[in-house]
Parts: sequence; structure tokens; C-alpha cells
Amino acid sequence: MPLPAKAFQRWLHGIAPDTSMADVCRLSKVKRTTLAQQLVRGKVAEATVVSISRAFGVNPVDSLAYFENYRDLAGPQIPPSPQELVSQIATVDLLRAVIARSTPAVEAGAEAEAEAGTPAGLETGAGQGTGPAGSAGPRRPGPLELSPAPHATSVKNWVDAIDDGELRHRVSAATGIAPQNYSAQLTANRLAPEVAIATSRAAGVGLTGGLVATGLITEEEANWEPGARQAALDRLTDGELTALAGERLQALGKMLRRQEQDQEQTEKIWENLG
Amino acid sequence: MIETLQWTTLIVCGAAALSRIPNLIHKKNRSLFYIFALLTVATLLSIKGPYAAIDGLLGNTNVANLLLRFIIFGTIYFLGIRIAKAFGDTYGLQLIRGRAGYVVLAAISAALIVLFALLDTEGSSAGMAAVSMKDERNATLVEYYGAAGRAYPAYVCLAILPAMLRGVRSSLPVMLRLGALLLAIGAAAITLSLLFPLIPQSLGSVEFIINYTAILCFVFGLTLIWLARLRAGRTVTAHPGRPSAGRG
Repeated sequence: MPLPAKAFQRWLHGIAPDTSMADVCRLSKVKRTTLAQQLVRGKVAEATVVSISRAFGVNPVDSLAYFENYRDLAGPQIPPSPQELVSQIATVDLLRAVIARSTPAVEAGAEAEAEAGTPAGLETGAGQGTGPAGSAGPRRPGPLELSPAPHATSVKNWVDAIDDGELRHRVSAATGIAPQNYSAQLTANRLAPEVAIATSRAAGVGLTGGLVATGLITEEEANWEPGARQAALDRLTDGELTALAGERLQALGKMLRRQEQDQEQTEKIWENLG
Repeated sequence: MIETLQWTTLIVCGAAALSRIPNLIHKKNRSLFYIFALLTVATLLSIKGPYAAIDGLLGNTNVANLLLRFIIFGTIYFLGIRIAKAFGDTYGLQLIRGRAGYVVLAAISAALIVLFALLDTEGSSAGMAAVSMKDERNATLVEYYGAAGRAYPAYVCLAILPAMLRGVRSSLPVMLRLGALLLAIGAAAITLSLLFPLIPQSLGSVEFIINYTAILCFVFGLTLIWLARLRAGRTVTAHPGRPSAGRG
């Protein structure tokens, strides 16, 4: 449920006491009509609070914590698990990592010493598996910069990453959302902020993970360490990385195939009835 | 109230037919124009005043009613085929255009003509109401005649109904799903019309409401699909080069 307008007014007064609504909208790039409508309805979207927070240099998570429904966001959060971090890496970036690991020659210049004598990428992976994360990070510099979260399937990948097999049932029980509606939201790469938090809670992970996956807040705002995703990626063994990339590709293929079928079907309908 | 519903339906059908004239000229999906035109004629023939006028020209023997039945058969036949093809429903298409479909159509048509011949059809009367009031025998025959007239549309609608329901639940664009929903409601209503004999006389207006609702649902459903196409056409020209598929 979005934030009550009354509480929103109080919060806004707290962070921008002398700013007119027009200025707030101008600075935060929230459309005036949108905000006005939300206020009239008495329900302000979380995204509005996030935009305004950013405009006034306040951490959006702290802002959300001001509101009753999001109280639990106050204070330190459990840091994201490696699986969560990896789930927020775009499929293309995972594939790049696969390619980079299997063609050591490309990076030979940067890590000639480390790679010397190793015939294939597999060796590299094994080395990383045993080494600590800190040492793995600097070994993959420059060209493999990860695109920022979220990505095209980040919501579903995130839930899959924290799902123990019963998560969907627990979320459904806790929020009253029918499992098929929940799945539909995941497939559409959407999740209402409160449902994202309910999901985190049901999975026992940090509460901000879902907010990052849905793109409401950035990794930085969620207090994820810079390079945390890269580090988690580097910690994957070649086997894990390849299997994960494979899964993602398969899911992507399925999704594209379905879109193509829908497109075909749509054209057929138009051809006959349009 | 029923009069209003009838004339509204007539206007809506006529407007739908008119809106397809550009497509008719461009030779694009011409059958849809004919379907709407036939629907308009069928609606016209089901309204008291126009019916009396047209039947008067045909000799006051309710031949117009028989004509109306066959216009409905033709409309529903072509409409069913179009819809089944559009939604990729080969099974439904088979049921309409396959052997079974033609056997059903032939049997029902024969029954309709025989029953009509057995009736004492003197005296124009929309819906043959006056004919059925002549005597017991005519009343029973009109009942059977009406049932035969509803049987074929119900058969076709039943054939396409599953595909419509699948369309509603699919992941197609929202407007197409809404269109499929309207078509499904129309098809369901026409199928329900098989149960008309069970409706008590006092609730006679229910039959009218079901019939015209069905026609309106079909027309609006098809129009929605057409509008979706027009809108998509515009969007495509507005964003050339935008990839339609999702990005990984």
C-alpha cells in the first residue's frame, strides 16, 4: 500500500520546510499533476518519495523508513547474499564474463603472471574458487564494467536467488497476493515495493534487496558495497558461472520465443479481423 | 426498452459496416464489411416496423423471417471462420468448415425449411409471434422452428468459444484480450439462447436482451481489435527502429 498523504506532508516538511510544491516537483522531476493526484487520493507512491529524497540529497531508504509501513528499513540491514548480488548482474554481463574467462589471451597483458602456463579458463576459475574475494576483484579490471542494476529480468532472478522452494507460498500467505498474480508480476519484472519487502522478510534476507531489484533505489542507496556484485561474480567458479549463464539464456530464450509467438498471433488476428 | 436496444444495435452495426468501407475499397479483409452489413440487415429484419415493410414486399407470408434465419446462418458462418482463423483455432475451424460443420448446417437448414413449410405463415409478424398464436399446432411448430434457427449459431459459437477463452487468458496485448473477452461473451450468450424454451413466457424480454447483447458484444469486440491495430500501426510509425522484443 502506498504512503498516506498526511505522513507524506509531514515528511516533506521535515526535509524541505520552505520549499513550495512547485519547486519540489521541479527539483525532483516528479510531474506536478502526478503528485497532485497522489495527494488528492491520499496515497503517495514510494517512487515519488525516492525522487524527492534524491533531489534533496537524502537517502531514499532513510526517507522510506520514516513511514509506518517501512519502519523496518531504519537501521543497518543484513548485507546482500552472494546469490542476490549475482542475480542483479545482467545476463549480457554474465555472458561477457563467461567469454572473458574462456579467452585468457585477451587479458594476458594485465595478468600475464597469473595466467602463465594455464592452458584454459578453467584453471582461472579454480584459482578464484580458493582465493578470497578481495584478490579476485582487481584481476578483472576495465572492460568488464557491469551495467548497473536493475536489468531486464532482475526481479525474477532476485526472487529465484533467495527462493528456498517455499518462498512464494510464504509471500502469498503474508501478503494475500494470489501465487499466480505474484508470478505474473515477477515475469513482468515488476513488484510493488511493499511486496518486495515482504518477499525479503519471508526469505530472511536484507530488506532492501527487492527495492534494488525493482529499480526503486540504487545499489549505492541500499548501502551495497561498491564492486560487491563484481566480487560475487568473481567468486563464482567457472562451472557455477557457466551453469548460471546457461539458465539465464534458456529463460531469455523462452521469453523471447513467447514474445515472438504473441507477435505472430497478434499479426494473425489483425490479418483476419483488423 | 427493447425497442431502444434494437435500434441501438442497428445503429452500431451500421456504423461498424460503414467504418469498414475504406478497407472494402482497399480490398483489405473485405469479408468483415460483408459480415457487418449482413448483421445490420439481420438486425433490421428483427425489428417490427422494418420487418413488416420488407415482408409486405415479399407477400406477407413471413418469408422475411426465413430469410432472416439464413442471413444469420451466413453471417455466423463467415464470422466463425474469420475468428477461428484469427485465433489460430484449427479445431474450431474444422468444426465449422469441416464435414461435421456442413452436415450440421445442412440438417438444420433442411429442418428450418420443412418446419417453415408446415407452418401456416399467413400474416406478417416479427418473430412469428402472431403465427404461433393461431393454434396449438402452429405454436409448437414455431417453437421448433425458432429452436432450429438458434441451433446453428449456437453450434458455431460453441466451436469458437474455447479459443476465445484461451485468448482472454493469453499474454496478448490488453486490447486484443479485451476483444477476445467480448467475443467470448457474445459466443456464450448465443450458446445460452439454446435454453430459451426453458425461459418462462413472463420473462420474454430476457431473450431479446441476450440476443442483442450478443450482437453488440461481437461488434464491439471486433471493433476493439480493429482499433488495436490502428493504434499499433501508429505506434510503429512513431518509433521506427525500436526493437519490439525484450532485451536481455
